[in-house]
Amino acid sequence: MGLFKSSEEFEEMLSGFFRLAGSRPEIARPLLDSRLIIRFTYSDPDVVIVVDCSGDSLDVRPGDTTTKATVNMTMKAEIAHRFWFGKVNLMQALTRRQMTAKGPVPKILQLLPAIKPLYAIYPEYLRENGYADYIVS
Amino acid sequence: MNAPGGYAGAILHVDLTSGQTHTSPLDPEFARHHLGGSGFGARFILDELLTRRGAAAVAAGDLPDALSADNPCVLMTGPLTGASMHAVARWTVGARSPLTGIWGEANVGGYFGAELKAAGYDGLVITGAAPRPTYLAIDEGRVELHDATPYWGLDTFATEDALVASHRRGATRAAPPAPGSGDAGARGAAGRTAETGARGADARTARPGHVLCIGPAGENLVRFACLVNHRGHVAGRTGLGAVWGAKRLKAIYVRGTHRPGPAHPDRLAALRTELDEVYRESIVIEALRAFGTACQWDIGAVLGDVPMGNWRQGEWERFDDLGPLAYADKLDPRARSCFACGVRCKREVEVTGGPFRMERGPGPEYETVAGFGTVCLNSDIEAVAKANDLCNRLGMDTISCSATIAFAMECREAGLLEPEQGVDPGLSWGDGAAIVALVEQIGGRHGLGDMLAEGSARAAERIGGSAGAFLTAVKGLESPLHDPRSFHGLGLAYAVAPRGACHLSGVGYWVESGGMYLPEIAELAEGLDGMNSTGKAAAHVAGQDYGVFFAGCAGFCSLGGMVLTATQAVDMVNHVTGFDYDLAEVTALGRRVWYLQRGLSHLFGARADDDRLPARLATPLADGPTAGSAPDMDLMLGEFYALRGLHLDGLPRRDVLVGLDLGDLADLLGT
Repeated sequence: MGLFKSSEEFEEMLSGFFRLAGSRPEIARPLLDSRLIIRFTYSDPDVVIVVDCSGDSLDVRPGDTTTKATVNMTMKAEIAHRFWFGKVNLMQALTRRQMTAKGPVPKILQLLPAIKPLYAIYPEYLRENGYADYIVS
Repeated sequence: MNAPGGYAGAILHVDLTSGQTHTSPLDPEFARHHLGGSGFGARFILDELLTRRGAAAVAAGDLPDALSADNPCVLMTGPLTGASMHAVARWTVGARSPLTGIWGEANVGGYFGAELKAAGYDGLVITGAAPRPTYLAIDEGRVELHDATPYWGLDTFATEDALVASHRRGATRAAPPAPGSGDAGARGAAGRTAETGARGADARTARPGHVLCIGPAGENLVRFACLVNHRGHVAGRTGLGAVWGAKRLKAIYVRGTHRPGPAHPDRLAALRTELDEVYRESIVIEALRAFGTACQWDIGAVLGDVPMGNWRQGEWERFDDLGPLAYADKLDPRARSCFACGVRCKREVEVTGGPFRMERGPGPEYETVAGFGTVCLNSDIEAVAKANDLCNRLGMDTISCSATIAFAMECREAGLLEPEQGVDPGLSWGDGAAIVALVEQIGGRHGLGDMLAEGSARAAERIGGSAGAFLTAVKGLESPLHDPRSFHGLGLAYAVAPRGACHLSGVGYWVESGGMYLPEIAELAEGLDGMNSTGKAAAHVAGQDYGVFFAGCAGFCSLGGMVLTATQAVDMVNHVTGFDYDLAEVTALGRRVWYLQRGLSHLFGARADDDRLPARLATPLADGPTAGSAPDMDLMLGEFYALRGLHLDGLPRRDVLVGLDLGDLADLLGT
């Protein structure tokens, strides 16, 4: 059993966070410019979330296993959680296959500056939405 | 005596004082014991010193000044240099460093190393000094010294163009002989052809060779002058361009067509097929292909690896102005590569207008963008590209040059440098025009540039006051642009590297920062927590032993070779050479060479007091990803000294050296 109580809880928690990201113009704009459709496939617990940047606004679709994504990212739920705290060395996670990324690597890397503000937002989001127990010190 | 696979089988010795050259065969046992690159270089330098000065003088520290004729200089390839594989174009230059006074070494890629081997030589040992500007030409089996007076004063690009054009015209035979200090008649009058092989080719019709040269900075003895081949491929660190300047050696032109083959071509082909898949699938390689070395930029920012404001701040609102997107938008980058490498992480750029206009040429790499960018708080990527272009042309190391300029900016801010000292009144943080102007002043030794051309450590001594607190150098070598507050083990690596601050003296940094994964080496197999000093000494000892074999001796590129496991790397060396190394033997080899490099630095005077991280790099930052983090140097140094068997004065224990077949070094050190 991993860090999270259930797949439903983790799905709801992360989907909410992605929607919050989509509501922030400074973050949403570069994501929408990329036109990417990103599928996150998490394990322990098993959750799939698609973040669709191909439209006019960010569309977050939990459980979407059918849409053809341009980027497929896989990782354990705990790795994803720690990543948003800035506690994961992205390069180390990728080289050790704790995280995989399939798709146009240049476009993925170009998003890194855009998502930087999310590291500070994530703990606030958890605190304000009933997930304070998951805050990593 | 047949050479092992991958080796040309010969070392060329050049005495610039007498104008004489001779070739010595490469002993296969020596090759197996030292492999190449740093291993060959350090051993040849020590042997040269012993031969020319005697053991008693060497042991007493009676050694030649770095800028004297007696300072030998070596260029050494590895067995893989020139192989048709990704990420193996590297080779090594070594000598006593004019910047640090200790063992100096620079590792470089490009095309020159592969060409040198195809011309019949695994390496060169250069001694003496020519009475006037001279260049060496190696064309197949033909070795000649020529007058370089017409090229003295030219920048590196112009020198390369002129020499290639000259040799293409077949001007070799018409060039005047370079006068030696002895009887020119005794050496023959026609271009002083020292060796004429049977493979001489018609230079007028053959493809051109490659040039390694110094620019005006080397001629002016700038202490961080470098050697440049194929324009932007630079043996940058430790000022070895000034060693050539002191020897009045302007360039080496080399051309060859006899590339040595691998011992086991079928096995190598099978490995190449296996690695094709690795290179196709690796996100690290994909990132290098997409953005060049600047691909580290954004990840580095998240991890706190990129220093800013002369290493005083952890955040900067203009950071993204220098990132890969700005680079692509403003510099129109195109990919270029080293010999036979499909990673293509090098960049060519241009600036088409404005104050920093530059014609298309080699673009700044990560270290240079950080050095002239974030460290100087200069957010203009075009100014960075221009400063880089000038450094390439003048022949200067961008890391030391940018660090020294940032140091000067802080001195100016602190009121330690005033206009009457030749300082541009506008020299202030972020002033791209002032940075570019100062690069030119340093290369030409004009105004303030004359003092800064001595390097930041010497400049701090002259300036006095609190200037020493602004330094980022270890043993006089300015730190590369990776922050040990983000990766604590890097602080140890900087402190104890034989040549001074260096992130490439082992693979510890690459493992700690996450780019390299070596599951076969126990100390490096687990992921390392960057901002923690515990266990880092053991990891970095293992990383040094393996890294000296990998990048120092074999010829692997630390970037393009990052995706290789240790098994794949050892296999490649075995398939090329025909040796039957295992991982234990290559790490023992790397260890032996590490002690040899460190031993040379000890002979040149380095001791435990020099194994120190500058306070600036060990002071926690108030903001940014590493806020509050600092390497525990006492802990790591204590563990490191125990693991390496070092006495309190820094010298290795005798039994450690004897166990590595370095008894002669133990005798010289009196340990």
